[in-house]
Amino acid sequence: MITTDTMLSRIAESLFWVGRYVERADDTARILDAYLHRLLEDPWSDEDAACRSLHAILGVAVPGEQHCDMDSVLARLAFDAASPGSIEGALRAARQNALTARDVVSTEMWETLNSTWHQLAEHQRAARRTGPDAYLGLVRRRAALFFGLADSTMSRDDGWRFVVLGRSLERVDMIARLLAVRVLAAVHAPDWPTLLSASGAEEAFVRARGAGSDPGEVAAFLLLDRGFPRSVLHALSAAEECLVELGGGTSAWQRPEPARLAVGRMRTRLEYLDSAELEQLPALLSELQLACGEATRAVAERYFPYDGPIEWSHQSVTREGA
Amino acid sequence: MADIFDSYTTADAWDEMFERPGVVRPAYEAVFAALSPLDSLELRYRTDQMARAFTDRGVTYSYGGEERPFPLDLVPRLLDAVEWDRLSRGVRQRVLALEAFLADAYGRQRVFADGVVPYRLLYSSPHFHRAAHGIEPPNGVRVHVSGIDLVRDEEGRFRVLEDNVRVPSGVSYVIENRRVMTRTFPALFAEQPVRPVDEYPQRLLAALKACAPEGVTDPVVVVLTPGVANAAYFEHALLARLMGVQLVEGRDLVCSGNKVRMRTTRGETPVHVIYRRLDDDFLDPLHFRPDSLIGVPGIMSAAHAGNVTLANAVGNGIADDKLLYTYVPDLIRYYLAEEPLLPNVETIRPEEPGRLEEVLDQLDRLVLKPVDGAGGKGIVIGPRAERDALDRLAEEVKADPRGWIAQRPVALSTSPTLSRRGDGQDGLAPRHIDLRPFAVHDGSDVWLVPGGLTRVALGEGNLIVNSSQGGGSKDTWVLAPDAPPSRTTGERSTAVSEVSPRQFGPGGTSTPGGPAQEEAQQQ
Amino acid sequence: MAGRLRIRHETRVGYPSPAGSSYNEVRMSPLTLPTQTVLDSRLDVAPAASLWTYWDYWGTQVTVFDLTDSHTSLSLTATSLVETAPPTPLPTPLDRAEIAARSADSRLTEYLSATPRTTVSPDLAAQACAAADGLDAHQTAAALTDLVRERVSYTQGTTGVHSGAQDAWDQRAGVCQDFAHLTAALLRAAGIPTRYVSGYLHPSPDAELDRPVAGESHAWVEYWAGEWIGQDPTNGTRPGESHVIVARGREYGDVPPHKGVYRGAPGELPQVRVEFTRLA
Repeated sequence: MITTDTMLSRIAESLFWVGRYVERADDTARILDAYLHRLLEDPWSDEDAACRSLHAILGVAVPGEQHCDMDSVLARLAFDAASPGSIEGALRAARQNALTARDVVSTEMWETLNSTWHQLAEHQRAARRTGPDAYLGLVRRRAALFFGLADSTMSRDDGWRFVVLGRSLERVDMIARLLAVRVLAAVHAPDWPTLLSASGAEEAFVRARGAGSDPGEVAAFLLLDRGFPRSVLHALSAAEECLVELGGGTSAWQRPEPARLAVGRMRTRLEYLDSAELEQLPALLSELQLACGEATRAVAERYFPYDGPIEWSHQSVTREGA
Repeated sequence: MADIFDSYTTADAWDEMFERPGVVRPAYEAVFAALSPLDSLELRYRTDQMARAFTDRGVTYSYGGEERPFPLDLVPRLLDAVEWDRLSRGVRQRVLALEAFLADAYGRQRVFADGVVPYRLLYSSPHFHRAAHGIEPPNGVRVHVSGIDLVRDEEGRFRVLEDNVRVPSGVSYVIENRRVMTRTFPALFAEQPVRPVDEYPQRLLAALKACAPEGVTDPVVVVLTPGVANAAYFEHALLARLMGVQLVEGRDLVCSGNKVRMRTTRGETPVHVIYRRLDDDFLDPLHFRPDSLIGVPGIMSAAHAGNVTLANAVGNGIADDKLLYTYVPDLIRYYLAEEPLLPNVETIRPEEPGRLEEVLDQLDRLVLKPVDGAGGKGIVIGPRAERDALDRLAEEVKADPRGWIAQRPVALSTSPTLSRRGDGQDGLAPRHIDLRPFAVHDGSDVWLVPGGLTRVALGEGNLIVNSSQGGGSKDTWVLAPDAPPSRTTGERSTAVSEVSPRQFGPGGTSTPGGPAQEEAQQQ
Repeated sequence: MAGRLRIRHETRVGYPSPAGSSYNEVRMSPLTLPTQTVLDSRLDVAPAASLWTYWDYWGTQVTVFDLTDSHTSLSLTATSLVETAPPTPLPTPLDRAEIAARSADSRLTEYLSATPRTTVSPDLAAQACAAADGLDAHQTAAALTDLVRERVSYTQGTTGVHSGAQDAWDQRAGVCQDFAHLTAALLRAAGIPTRYVSGYLHPSPDAELDRPVAGESHAWVEYWAGEWIGQDPTNGTRPGESHVIVARGREYGDVPPHKGVYRGAPGELPQVRVEFTRLA
């Protein structure tokens, strides 16, 4: 009965954010995992600096003078359910959005998020005792399970497109953040191998470019590789595809709507990038993040116009006079 | 063998499973046989499993801000085919009488003019919504969904405890209980055919489509929920999902020109039938509570103009008022010219001349219920109440006789329920239960989901079964007649068509010697 | 002698910030009755909206409209042309016991019970009963109207739209709506079914023909003494050819001239102007 071409704006918005938040939890777990292992493996690393760069990547402010270590990172970036920048915060928000869109999200997808949410407390206790590895692993596996179930239990209708759109834009944003910290704040920056493993790209990179290849190529790989699903170009293409279909396909005489314009422009820019431009990474990265923000705003404006909280005032009434 | 039923003693009530200690009722023999070999650890393990399944699925209710699974007891409640048939005819009769009453009350008001029910009752009901006057339901149905609460008394007779024809909830538990029971306790179902409950969503959808405004051939049905924070949100989402319709909130709907539309990603699209799970008071801030943020202004006018159907109808509350309850047997005689098949619990109306004193004199032997209370709120069970509570009650009843009814206390029937005994061990003990069958009225037929929701008061001796008062539930089985329904025999008679052989790739079949040789290369 | 009146009832609402959408019900169309004939009646709304009318439970003609585009003001202009008749002679009333018997369990019951705005204290109700002791229905109406008029003076601004009968009694002040609520409450307490009437009153019955005169909307009551009898407690008279009936209910809440909700911040009181023109 729900035809594939109508979907409540409120539900669409929830689906978009389910996609974004699950991806965010996944990416955050990967980044934390890569960093924390790096710290343990490299005895000379500066824990405080590394932890500060982590905060910078994830856009979470570090409390001023406070010393930053692994435990405080986990407390703020993993376990803090009140912050949507942390893993638990993201999963909590994802679950809340899935609950709102409960009639559209398949039961298996919902159960994945719901049971994960209920298990987090227990895993968090274990993580405090024995280290975060199992905790972060759970988050990654459940995110994979969630998107796998989305892939196999959702019809390819607008609902699906909003989930994928959200996931893709979040992915672009996260890779851009990772690279930005690397190029902007070289002192605290993760080294290239850490960066690769934080993107889940270690093996794909080695297979594509060969072991021991120039680390400088990592940026190019994460930005431009057509085959790797976590590259910026790949994610942008996926987002663009969703936007084309949401907008009712391409037509010759119609100017693409703003969200598609932002994403499509960025995608072509990357596709035809020459190597000299790759040297200007900082400018490119900030463009990327601007484009992501712009696309999100445009999507919201077109598909889920925010109405403000609805409150009804009563007409003040006149009384019988004479 | 240490039998979990060994120490089971029946209380002073009809026991559903045992005729007397040690003697099992015939319908329960198979269940008894399946449960007897288990020990209490095993029962507790399965109960915990079911609770976990509920938590994961979100079948929870909020208790003091915490999400808790709705407790499900693993001993099912059984109704044999004959009993169910009698019971469902009684419910059907009752629903039809209430339909007739509502049509009359919002129409010609004959029942009052003929002196069957006093006018006073109508005019003093807070649920008599004059704004609903003139809204003609397209197929005459106002009670699309109802839940008639039944109890079994000391003699084993079913009696009606109350009617719910506004927004009865709980059917999701019927569906979910069955789902989780068949998964965690498949052996229980092995011995006898139990009628399935999963037909409910399609019946409901058919009834909702059948009440679409005139001239609409392919109606758009939606479920209107107060929102995620509502205690029954799980049910709203489940029904929307199982019917394949949109689950909307008030802010998703917009009225203009007496038509209702919903805001979608492709603009505003029409809505024809609204299965609303909002109380009347919150539905339309123009007519009812002005502070409602979850309602839709203009929706009453759209209903009035016949462009949208609200299910259940607005104003049904006059029919499930506990004071009207006392007149329902008369309504059945008046409208249907039939004798009631299901009796009420004996009830006194304190508002009637002379009856107030009678009630006040024996408060400690009666159950007093507020006419307008829901969810077991405000009920005082005289024999269990303290002296000062009774004194307070007497004052309240004196001040507002219209606000109360008095009933003979009925010892609800009991069913074996897994409980913690005095010695700290788990065991099966008798606990009081009721039954809420759900009926769907599509205009030509009143259909009942086989069984319904059996609620169980988990505390020993407790008579109030509502979940807000610490109640749980039981899967409710209607045993199918021995012969399977004809449709399945039809399917069975067709021969199974030939299936092509499966294909296998490398590794799919074992090649003798191969792996062994590879393994041998290891040192 | 019959009167012919043109009534123009203008309501203008300004919103402090633009209203996103608004939903409205208007009860300003006079009824056609044995004592009054409506020759013409219409409602103009600006910004323009499509109007829909229905008759509500109380038999009032209700005009419904919504505005879904943002707007900063709303104006309603109801005009009607009505022929009215002078009051008919008072019929002999049924005796009080008969009234009580006929209204104990009938539709009249609805006009006997208190509503939010017609609830008074038990003391005041007892006082009404005492004052009515031994009187017939007409005498009761006259006595209770006197009681109200002695106690309450006509004063604008002391009571509001949500004020009830008891408020007016306690504050010794009120307008026609309060007089009507209070009188209805006392008559009901004395066992006489009474309804609230919303309508118009021409302020100067002898005004020049064709010359518009400013006036206001009005409220009074009707009590049942075998048939419904009008009583205007504000003026201490029986309604006549200067009175135009729009709606009847149990109280103001059943028959408000304009009821609406809109999206936006709560606003100030609307400006209202009522104008009467005697045509015959």
